[in-house]
Amino acid sequence: MNRQIRSLALGLMTLYVVLFGALNFWAVGQEEELNGNIENTRAVRREFNKPRGPIVSADGVVVARSVPNPDPLTSDEIKQLREYPTGDLFAHLTGYFTKDFGATQVERTQGDVLTGSTTTQQIRSLGDLLSNEVDNSGSVELTVRHDLQQLAQELLGDRKGSVVVVEVATGAVRAMYSNPSFDPSTFVNAPFEEAEDLIVELQNADDDPLLSGAYQQRFMPGSTFKVITTGIGLENGVIDLTTQFPRETEWVPPQTTDPIQNYRGTQCGGDLAEVFRRSCNIPFAQTAVALGPDAMVAGTEAWGIGDDVPIDLPRAAASTFGDTTDLDQKLPLLAIRGFGQNEDQMVPLHMALVAATVANGGEMMEPYVVEATYDHNGEELSRTSPNPWLRPISGAAAATLTELMTGVTEGDRGTGRSVQLEGGQRFAAKTGTAELGLVDDPDLVHAWMIGFAPLEAPQYAIAVVLNDLESTQADAATGGRQAGPIVKGMLDYLLTGPGAGG
Amino acid sequence: MAISRRRRNTELVLIVMAVIITGAAYTIASLGENSEIPPGIVVFVLFLLGLLVCAHMVVRYVAAGADSTLLPVAALLHGIGFVMITRLDNELAGLQATWSMIAILAFVGTLLVVQRASDLARYQWTFFAIGATLLMLPMVPGVGQTINGARIWVSIGPINFQPGEFAKIALAIFFAAYLADRRELIAASTWKIGPIHLPEPRFILPILVAWGFAVVVMVGQRDLGSSLLFFTLFVVLMWVATEKVSYLILGAVLFTGAALFSWSQFSHVRTRVDIWIDPWSRSLDSGYQIVQSLFGLADGGMTGTGLGRGNPNQVPEAQNDFIFASIGEEMGLIGATAILISYLLIIGAGLRIAIRTERPFEKLLATGLTTIIGVQAFIIIGGVIKVVPLTGITLPFVSYGGSSLIANYILLALLLRVSDSSARRLGELPDEPTPSERIAAWRLRSKVSSGKITAVDVDGADGSRVAG
Repeated sequence: MNRQIRSLALGLMTLYVVLFGALNFWAVGQEEELNGNIENTRAVRREFNKPRGPIVSADGVVVARSVPNPDPLTSDEIKQLREYPTGDLFAHLTGYFTKDFGATQVERTQGDVLTGSTTTQQIRSLGDLLSNEVDNSGSVELTVRHDLQQLAQELLGDRKGSVVVVEVATGAVRAMYSNPSFDPSTFVNAPFEEAEDLIVELQNADDDPLLSGAYQQRFMPGSTFKVITTGIGLENGVIDLTTQFPRETEWVPPQTTDPIQNYRGTQCGGDLAEVFRRSCNIPFAQTAVALGPDAMVAGTEAWGIGDDVPIDLPRAAASTFGDTTDLDQKLPLLAIRGFGQNEDQMVPLHMALVAATVANGGEMMEPYVVEATYDHNGEELSRTSPNPWLRPISGAAAATLTELMTGVTEGDRGTGRSVQLEGGQRFAAKTGTAELGLVDDPDLVHAWMIGFAPLEAPQYAIAVVLNDLESTQADAATGGRQAGPIVKGMLDYLLTGPGAGG
Repeated sequence: MAISRRRRNTELVLIVMAVIITGAAYTIASLGENSEIPPGIVVFVLFLLGLLVCAHMVVRYVAAGADSTLLPVAALLHGIGFVMITRLDNELAGLQATWSMIAILAFVGTLLVVQRASDLARYQWTFFAIGATLLMLPMVPGVGQTINGARIWVSIGPINFQPGEFAKIALAIFFAAYLADRRELIAASTWKIGPIHLPEPRFILPILVAWGFAVVVMVGQRDLGSSLLFFTLFVVLMWVATEKVSYLILGAVLFTGAALFSWSQFSHVRTRVDIWIDPWSRSLDSGYQIVQSLFGLADGGMTGTGLGRGNPNQVPEAQNDFIFASIGEEMGLIGATAILISYLLIIGAGLRIAIRTERPFEKLLATGLTTIIGVQAFIIIGGVIKVVPLTGITLPFVSYGGSSLIANYILLALLLRVSDSSARRLGELPDEPTPSERIAAWRLRSKVSSGKITAVDVDGADGSRVAG
């Protein structure tokens, strides 16, 4: 029997060697990966009982703050409660900070500052280390204005959609609100099971309220995409202001017999300015085909399509020009994508950047929402400096596009003609009505409008999208009719209303 | 004489070291949690030292020849577990202290009652009855309790306990005794099917019964871990007793069959396997525990977050089945490895005892008891770190819980008793008669002196012992 017992010893030892191997794998081999896992709340929990500083909007409204737990004994070692006084207004920007389900967005990216854990903060508070209760928590100032968020929320009402306002010269995001949103206050301080239920409910809810429609989702852009197609066409010399497009009601692209029509089958044509302001489809389909797949794809990439929008928030979405493999065999699709249908999908924030690029002489800035961070004494720790992202078009092309987009709001039969700002403020825009072409709901559209103002010295670029509207023959939900009033509301407030000079 | 005294002195020194380590860990945990030296540290250390020295003294007097490392290593595991439990849930600490006392009492009691390991063999069917009853008790309506999905608790009046923890010891004694008696018979008679030599059907029957037990436990109590443990125990003992590998193979085949069957028939088994294969996609519900456990290990890294400075409470049941994850988180890879090595030391010491003794029953008993500790620790540690599917079972000596702690200290006492018995037979210390043997001898002598029987009969009956 001793031989068997020795074998048994060897066998059991082998089992433990396996355990030791696995232990090494998790504790050391996978350490970084596991610590970086979004659901890993260890770091958050460690921070949870530390005092945590506030997140403040550009106009000084506290949108996230911590208060001491009035009843710490009954709530499982939580010494601080996190509050979001503005409810769902800033939820997609601040994100949430929970004990069991991690932190998101600014609460995650600026966690070190908020808890005073950056090296600078620790050095600055060295003297305090000797005392017991060290509160060196920092604070974060956003670029986003509370008044604009409120206005955007009001203008959207209960309609699903997004409003984004960025500063043209810097890329600073001044407003970014999308409906539906969520109120982190409902679950951040709740007990584990209750919080889990609420989060799972939000995860499973229609329209993904946890994901910002403005920068974490993308939608078919419709005719607003023509700004990009025109930009690529101008850059490549395929079109210019003198280009004439035949007046036609339908056009058959190569490789097919199915004709492409203008919106609602109208006859449309003329010079570039006319087809742009009336938003004909056929000319842009022809431009895309004339450019060809390679130039078109390269052009969209130059506009940042295919890259995650480089905002300083986690999990931003990327716009897409669709599947581009063998596109030279699928010229009809290329044609349709030329006017923003088929597989084109744009992130609303990206569309605002597109308008801003035109306004900014062809340079696209990186968008950002964190203006500055401060230590516990209110001394500045960091300030975001504007950073160029891409340069998709030249200054000349930008000037041409500005002229074309001005035609949309000012020219004869311009699709944005109905939208006029207070005090005769001039602005440039492009509308879009993306027909989703769903078999079970053929009338569903996204109504878009992008633009910038004031025309003479562009300051703000804006993108508004209303998602999943029912558009019928009798009551067409076009970008101009639906998104236009929101654009007007925002720009009026910013240029001539109470928000001017803010 | 010298050997046994040296062994006991070694044991005492090791116990003091274990207490020092535990006391230091206790202080560090408190410092990490609220930056103060625990007010009750002196009381705590004295309490622990008192308990263990008490256990040591009893070993010194009634099992002086026993192995010197088992008790200190168990004490270290027990102490580290105690510190973790205190750190995880202060309310449980008081209860665990009570359980510790009772467990040491049970340890002492076992050593005092079982004076010769071979005595146990005589009651093999009693132990079988006790073991089988305890095992089935949770399934008795009105007595059994389902906690956390497993029906492994029994509640009689105010007392709650997990009979499975005790059943494993009773069944180990039974298996060892049964196989020691019949090992040659079972090994000799074979029944040939093709190239495979199988024992005769009547000898296969017990293994089938054991297999049946395992399946019943697995299905009826939803306790996969215990079922695996019982079955492994029996197969290992069959193999060691008969020296035939075919039992290992047969056991593996039977268990695979049962596992596949229950996997296809029972959703809770399937869930366990699914969680094991991919906990990440279930990280918010069924996989939460294991995912959090792995996060904890990664957070601990090589050296751990430091006692009292991690968040092991984030893993549900951290004080029970997942206590190993808490240790890994706060004491790091190094601390967790120390735990693994401690179990290896217990396994090594236990199997050395099995090899040293020359009596089949004691060999098998020591093997069985060691296998229980080694395999049980492997099953739960492997479950916690995603090596095997997770099955709820306690980590011997470390996890919170009275039943587990008491049962494991009884098990330890039996191992020490086997060790001591063989040391006496090897002549390392005088084999003095036990009190019960003295009484028997005294009665015999009085019978002889009163003329009821003659001295010749006595010598023939039990010569050497009575002569002393």
